Amino acid sequence: MGLFDVFKGPTPAQKAAAEASAHRQADILFSLRANRPPTSTLQRLQEARAGKLPWIATLTPAELMIARSHGLRPISAVSATSWLHYGWSWTEGHAQGWGLALTRLKEEAKAAGANAVLDVKMRTIPLTVENSMDFTLIGTAVFVEGLPASRDPIVATVPALEFVKLLEADVVPTGIAVGAHYEWMADWQGNADRRWMGNIESHALSNLWETVRHRAHANLRAHARDQGNGVLAHLNFSQMFEREEKDQPKQYLARHIVIATTVDARRGQEFPHDIKMAVDMHQGRSPLNTSGRHHQSYATNESEGGI
Amino acid sequence: MADAIPVHAAERLKGLRSSAHSTGVFTSDFSVNEFLLVRKAGFEPIGLCVGTCVYHVGIQYGSWSKNQELDVLSKAMYHARELAMARMRAEAAAMGADGIVGVKLTIKRLEWDEHLLEFIAIGTGVVHGDGHKGFRAHDGGPFTSDLSGQDFWALLHSGYRPVEMVMGSCVYHVAHRGVLSGLGAAGRNVEMENFTAAMYEAREIAVERMQFEAAAAKAEGVVGVDIHEGSHGWQTHVIEFFAIGTAVLPLDQEIAPEKIADPIMVLSVND
Repeated sequence: MGLFDVFKGPTPAQKAAAEASAHRQADILFSLRANRPPTSTLQRLQEARAGKLPWIATLTPAELMIARSHGLRPISAVSATSWLHYGWSWTEGHAQGWGLALTRLKEEAKAAGANAVLDVKMRTIPLTVENSMDFTLIGTAVFVEGLPASRDPIVATVPALEFVKLLEADVVPTGIAVGAHYEWMADWQGNADRRWMGNIESHALSNLWETVRHRAHANLRAHARDQGNGVLAHLNFSQMFEREEKDQPKQYLARHIVIATTVDARRGQEFPHDIKMAVDMHQGRSPLNTSGRHHQSYATNESEGGI
Repeated sequence: MADAIPVHAAERLKGLRSSAHSTGVFTSDFSVNEFLLVRKAGFEPIGLCVGTCVYHVGIQYGSWSKNQELDVLSKAMYHARELAMARMRAEAAAMGADGIVGVKLTIKRLEWDEHLLEFIAIGTGVVHGDGHKGFRAHDGGPFTSDLSGQDFWALLHSGYRPVEMVMGSCVYHVAHRGVLSGLGAAGRNVEMENFTAAMYEAREIAVERMQFEAAAAKAEGVVGVDIHEGSHGWQTHVIEFFAIGTAVLPLDQEIAPEKIADPIMVLSVND
């Protein structure tokens, strides 16, 4: 399209595409409100499950190998998004946002006839819109040969290698739990300000942190309880701010978010494997000791942005 | 008659195959481990294959308040990548390669013109050591794959072979939210549904296109899929959703799951 094509108006093909898109967006909104995957996604997932469309897996070949030897078959990449605008609470917004995305992801997995979603990654699109954020989960839905489709598919934030490692140890990763808490503290007596004293603890601020962190973790525990009997905490995020306003005492905001993988593990279960020492032939990062990104297409252009 | 060929001649013939490049020298960007594992998989590198395309991307504006695909930009990103990949593949075919492994696709914006993008595809052309032609893509040309040498080995051992790098792209304009609709939301956490819908539609289009490419290559599935978003210096609300992976087919004799070696738990001595 050249510069002057702007004045020509849309072509018939573009008009048709715009109509199809409007139709699709209406369907997406309608479906999400009804808590089910959009129609086109649903159809694609079911065709992939039936073998009419190629399956799609975010797994690496090594992971595919291990998944197959354990009877896992990939169906399709599944994803879910919830874009939330924060009102009073940014902190609780995170818990809500991830919670909503998790529910939607499970619905997609269920529609695909999956038993589990592996390799689930939490993502946020680099588009800043004031006071809001998107919460996106992307993973690979799999089914287990010989098992009926699950009514409540498990969601594992670990990649396939670790998933199998956990299964062999009789531990099942089940989902994602979020604990979030924030508190404002108005410092009426200037207790937090210790500027003129020597070495001394700022009790007011210590207490604020203690409270916020404890409550966030208690919150995590409560949220995890419906999903499993333990969590492997893998992400802690906290921030503190000071706010000064004219004729007001200083205010402090502390917020803490902890996000964890929930697991279902039996106590006292022995780990069935011997451990061998090995030199790993992978270059640099390896699936043996990392669960990070496993794609090499973008290795050389990190500063330029992904292709 | 095959057994009438003298041993030395046969070896020389084999030798010719493994250094099939006319200069008699192979080039590759393999690391040592990658090189060893590609050879362990039965392949020999013959030469680096490169495809480049400098592309002038047209202009397209999305309506301020509308979620929509910017098809002019989508097509540009597609076409330019396709050209770079096709050129790389042509170079590989000219060398007589059966396939290209470790393909890296990169994109750069040229400094002096914001509409000029440079696309580069680079990978190592390989031939099967015994001249087995069954590894070629559905059209008889070399297969392409962004898998590393290690992953290539692992893929063959899981009973699959790479066919073609497949991708799906969708450049999307995310609507700006109206000022009035923001007021109602003060105080409560509310979902911005039109933003959510934009993410859903754009990602779905990208994945659908990738899956379509895989089906066209007659593949059974796609491994190593990466779905991500990127912005190449466009306006803030314009985002490219991109899905990429390697389409695969079962080997002639697909390995039954019970024949795949049991995993061994190891403690890596590497860092």
